[in-house]
Amino acid sequence: MQVELSERDGYTILAVEGEVDFHCSPDLRKKILQVLDDSGDLILDMGGISYIDSSGVASLVEGLQHARDHKKQFLLANVQDAAMQVLKLTRLDSVFSIHESIDAAINA
Amino acid sequence: MAGNSLIHISDLVTHFGDKCVHDGINLDVRKGEILVIMGGSGSGKSTLMRCLLGLKAPSSGSVQLLGQDLFRSNRKQLVELRRQMGVAFQGGALFGSMTVGENVCLPLREHTRLDPNTMRIMARMKLEMVNLGGAENLMPAELSGGMIKRAAFARSMIMDPKLLFFDEPSAGLDPITSAELDELILRIRDAMQTTIVVVTHELESAFRIADRITLLHAGKILMTGSVEEVQASDNQHIQDMLKRKPRSEAFDVDRYLSQLTGDRVSRQ
Amino acid sequence: MFVVKWLGRLGDQFLYITEQIGRSAMLLFYALTGIAKPPYKLHLITRQILFIGARSLFVILVAGFFTGMVLALQFYNTLERFGSIDLLGSATALALVRELGPVMTALMVIGRAGSAMCAEIGIMRTSEQIDALECMAIDPYRYLIAPKIIAGIISVPLLTSVFDVIGILGGYVVGVVVFGLSSGAYFDSMYAGVEWNDIMMGLNKSLLFGLTITWVSTTMGFFLHYDRKGAYGAEGVSRITTNAVVLSSIAILFGDYLVGAVML
Repeated sequence: MQVELSERDGYTILAVEGEVDFHCSPDLRKKILQVLDDSGDLILDMGGISYIDSSGVASLVEGLQHARDHKKQFLLANVQDAAMQVLKLTRLDSVFSIHESIDAAINA
Repeated sequence: MAGNSLIHISDLVTHFGDKCVHDGINLDVRKGEILVIMGGSGSGKSTLMRCLLGLKAPSSGSVQLLGQDLFRSNRKQLVELRRQMGVAFQGGALFGSMTVGENVCLPLREHTRLDPNTMRIMARMKLEMVNLGGAENLMPAELSGGMIKRAAFARSMIMDPKLLFFDEPSAGLDPITSAELDELILRIRDAMQTTIVVVTHELESAFRIADRITLLHAGKILMTGSVEEVQASDNQHIQDMLKRKPRSEAFDVDRYLSQLTGDRVSRQ
Repeated sequence: MFVVKWLGRLGDQFLYITEQIGRSAMLLFYALTGIAKPPYKLHLITRQILFIGARSLFVILVAGFFTGMVLALQFYNTLERFGSIDLLGSATALALVRELGPVMTALMVIGRAGSAMCAEIGIMRTSEQIDALECMAIDPYRYLIAPKIIAGIISVPLLTSVFDVIGILGGYVVGVVVFGLSSGAYFDSMYAGVEWNDIMMGLNKSLLFGLTITWVSTTMGFFLHYDRKGAYGAEGVSRITTNAVVLSSIAILFGDYLVGAVML
């Protein structure tokens, strides 16, 4: 798993690439919580994620809860089909705010 | 061995004491399919499951899971293999001293270094999937039969296994819960591309979920095929099984009589 | 015909016992090697110590007190005939520390914890929980058996020392309070009579008993499915538990003699 940080229009964009399994989901979790604490609103670019397991999804859920507690935004963008299936299985597709692209997420 | 088969059984022979349970079983399970193993009581389907799980060693033949020979693996390889497998036992096999949540989390706590908070969320997600949201603090003794089974499902899926085994998922459940579990099995496969092996004797549920059905009878495989192929088969045993007819074995008067009066006959 | 059948049964029995001994040795080996590897399961061991040790405390207190009283009563009666009542303290303490403390404690622990352990593991076997552990790649020897054995080795000596102390107190009540022996005489003879060697013997015995009880009980429960009569369900678990209690009691009494003979 590789993570890249960038800034756009007041949002921090976290682009994740590769497989998110339980070896690396603690890193992702730490990164998400850290960005939400330090810089505020976060868009997670999931376009490069080839596989995400439930520990990864759990980290996203934790991030969302953290963002809500601190009145910040946590958006998902470019969610690929495989990841979407996993989210749907746990009915989380209606919990996250999911956007087709980063632009759509910013404009929302 | 075909490249896309995750389970490969070849020439499996097993015994219980002197009794032969399986007599030359050959079976492949392909990636992402739901294979249902069916058969009457005593047909050896549960023992076949135990062989697949590495709990019962065969007398001869081999079982390969994910390309690795189950009974020629050392302890470390076996642990590695089993971390990619999930099993839901017939009776649930939940640990009575732990809450449902702790039961579901157990594999995570033993095998991963995830944050306790992440584990808790994962357990709740899995419980939510099986419609047991909010039950994590209950003890197994407080659950109904159907709930225990669903909790066992949740536990078997907690590590996102590549292979899932369900032993009699619908045995002893009401039709609605059992239909829900069937739906769940289908959804898990569709979402995670998990390869699933189900052992059952319930025709209805087998026809709903199976990609392929393997029919066991008296330690041998009668046939392996799609639902349509099984229904169209003209084998007598298969038709009996489908029509729920009692066993129609040849009736031997002498044998029957000696069975009833056994003691006398042997004393002659 | 009858002789052949009988011989066959004898052979079966012999094979079963031999196999069971082999399995129990294997169980101990796997459990001990399992403990040696980190990460250590401290919380599991603590829970077992709570179960075997702390929860047995009350029974041990009561049993110890009465054992001490009975001992003092008997010794008083005997010693009086020889005019050596002064030795009451040392006689009571020696009997408790060397013999009765370890043995009685062990028997109490068998009844309270050993039987429960055997039944618990037996039920886990029949309800496929041990299979489930294996399938989750969790080593049952390490996860289930090892904490119990460790907790037994830690708890039983501690309980034994509690038993000894409370027994000496019980003897004091009978000797000093009831029969009016002087308090100084009771304890003086104890200081003079009990040696370090006696305490070591009691300690060695209780360590051995702690291991024996947990080892026998867990083995019987864990290998329930190998039982010759085909242990099944509630009946099987209860029969195996009875066997475990009888077997470990006999093992304790035999071990008591063995250690006594070796260390004399």
